[in-house]
Amino acid sequence: MVPILVLFVLAAGFAVFSVLAGSLTGPKRFNRAKLEAYECGIEPSPQAFRGHKLPVKYYLTAMLFIVFDIEIIFLYPWAVAFDKLGLFGLIEMILFVVSVFVVYAYVWRRGGLEWD
Amino acid sequence: MSLTQSIDYAAISPPLVVVVTAVAVLLADLFVSAEVRRRLLAPLALAGTLGALGATAWLATGPARSTFCLAGGGCSYVADGFATYFQTIVLAALVVVLLLSYPLFDERERVPPGQVPAAEFLALMLMSVSGMLVVAAGRDLLTLLIGLEVVSLPAFVLVGLRRGDPRGVEAALKFFVFSVVSTALTIYGIALVYGTTGSIELHHIAHALSTRHAHSGAMSATAAAGVVLVLVGFGFKIAAVPFHFWAPDTYQGAPVPVAAFLSVASKAAGFAGLIVLLVVGFRPYADVWGPAVGVLAAVSMTVGNLVALRQRNVVRLLAWSTVAHAGYLLMPLAVASSQLREGVRATLAYLGIYAAMNLGAFGCAVLVRRLHPRLAIEDLRGLVTRAPLTAVAFGLFLTALAGLPPGVAGLFAKVVVFRAAVHGHVTWLAVVAAVNTVIGLAYYLRVAALMFVPADDAPVAPSSRTWSVSAGVAIAAAVTVVLSVYPQPLLHLASTAAQR
Repeated sequence: MVPILVLFVLAAGFAVFSVLAGSLTGPKRFNRAKLEAYECGIEPSPQAFRGHKLPVKYYLTAMLFIVFDIEIIFLYPWAVAFDKLGLFGLIEMILFVVSVFVVYAYVWRRGGLEWD
Repeated sequence: MSLTQSIDYAAISPPLVVVVTAVAVLLADLFVSAEVRRRLLAPLALAGTLGALGATAWLATGPARSTFCLAGGGCSYVADGFATYFQTIVLAALVVVLLLSYPLFDERERVPPGQVPAAEFLALMLMSVSGMLVVAAGRDLLTLLIGLEVVSLPAFVLVGLRRGDPRGVEAALKFFVFSVVSTALTIYGIALVYGTTGSIELHHIAHALSTRHAHSGAMSATAAAGVVLVLVGFGFKIAAVPFHFWAPDTYQGAPVPVAAFLSVASKAAGFAGLIVLLVVGFRPYADVWGPAVGVLAAVSMTVGNLVALRQRNVVRLLAWSTVAHAGYLLMPLAVASSQLREGVRATLAYLGIYAAMNLGAFGCAVLVRRLHPRLAIEDLRGLVTRAPLTAVAFGLFLTALAGLPPGVAGLFAKVVVFRAAVHGHVTWLAVVAAVNTVIGLAYYLRVAALMFVPADDAPVAPSSRTWSVSAGVAIAAAVTVVLSVYPQPLLHLASTAAQR
């Protein structure tokens, strides 16, 4: 029990120390680039789009990418163990790919792939 | 070594049928003309649910089936009496909820504000139910966790699906944030339990925990912390105090049928997972979780009932009432001794009766909403002259929730849980529950009496759009009445399900 408590104290102490040290010692010279979204993401705008709605086009594309990315992750070990898995694995994999394809068909028919 | 497992497709047929129906509904909406799908989608979803209900009934008559078994013993999915009991409750609740939600749909190409897109609503609801069916039969930590997540993720969208409704979005966001936090705590608990026992299979965990528990020390304390953390996630799912904060706002912001769905089906799934974990996996730590569950039960019923006294909105009142009922449902589990099986039986029986009466009460709220969109309690004054049948049905469900005649089913349910608590020597909890039952009478009867105040309004003709809601309420009323005069079959089923 004691080692866990020590770990908690260390972790909390490090977090507090880093935040405080950064804000106390660091120079504060802001410019335009520093206030923009970090690395990726949409440009921040002062007003939400059309009343209270935010545009989600970017997230839709990103999420679709992640879905197919994960599909590949599942395909890879299946390809490596293809001989051992045999027909059963093939059928299961076809079922998996088909069910992911349903997602694709849904996004396509609902107009999720049209940018404007 | 062969990497492939044999899968017993008969055992997993209920969730399988539900998932295939969900995909079929989505695809039908995409590739069928608007004219056809207007008449197709909801009946298709209903047919799939009834098919899954048939499969569950067939499984319930046969011997227990297990699948996804490991070489070292232990199966991830077991369709025994316990699983089929919960699956039947969830699927029957879905039938009623589908009937209640029919007027929400609008089959036009552009869904107007205030309505929901039918295909997405039906598919998400079916997907959520497939998760519930898996939770009921899941017998290892990961299957239970993934089942719970499959229950929750579509539910967030269902809550906020109404077009152009900021309250719905707010409700969905609150629901989402609370769910994510409690899931994170549960996963942490699972990691601790796995770390101290080396297994995710519940029987192995029970075996390992009993040796851990024998020697006090860091490992034993870590396992206890894991057990308590896992409780948190299920406390959220069943809306027990202090994990209940999402419930009133979410129920009020969501479409009323979705609130009914969350308060009955989602809660039933939470109890299925909770009971399996406590009774099978964490049994050696009953001295740790028993008092914790007892305190949760006492606090849930007290806070739920006291706050319900001050509500002015029908759905919020019902929401706080479901929080209080989570307390009554937890009470027999606090027994945690050799009498635990009787406690489980009491919780199962209570859940069956609660499902019927609570679905009925929410169904009446859907009917009242057509006359009074605000759903203020004050609007109910003189409802009996405007909509006599609705008022009589609502009165029946409210008295049943209170545990009074003519809703005798609720009284049977209360007697069963009280007896289990007293036999299991947690008399203090039974006393708390008795006080709470009296508090509950105050607000249930206030609303019921308000409806029967004479008023000089003319009766409002029933709308053709709500015939399916009336059918849903009629089913719930019929089940409540049958359970009031003849509860033995349900009690028998519950004791068979508790025998594991």
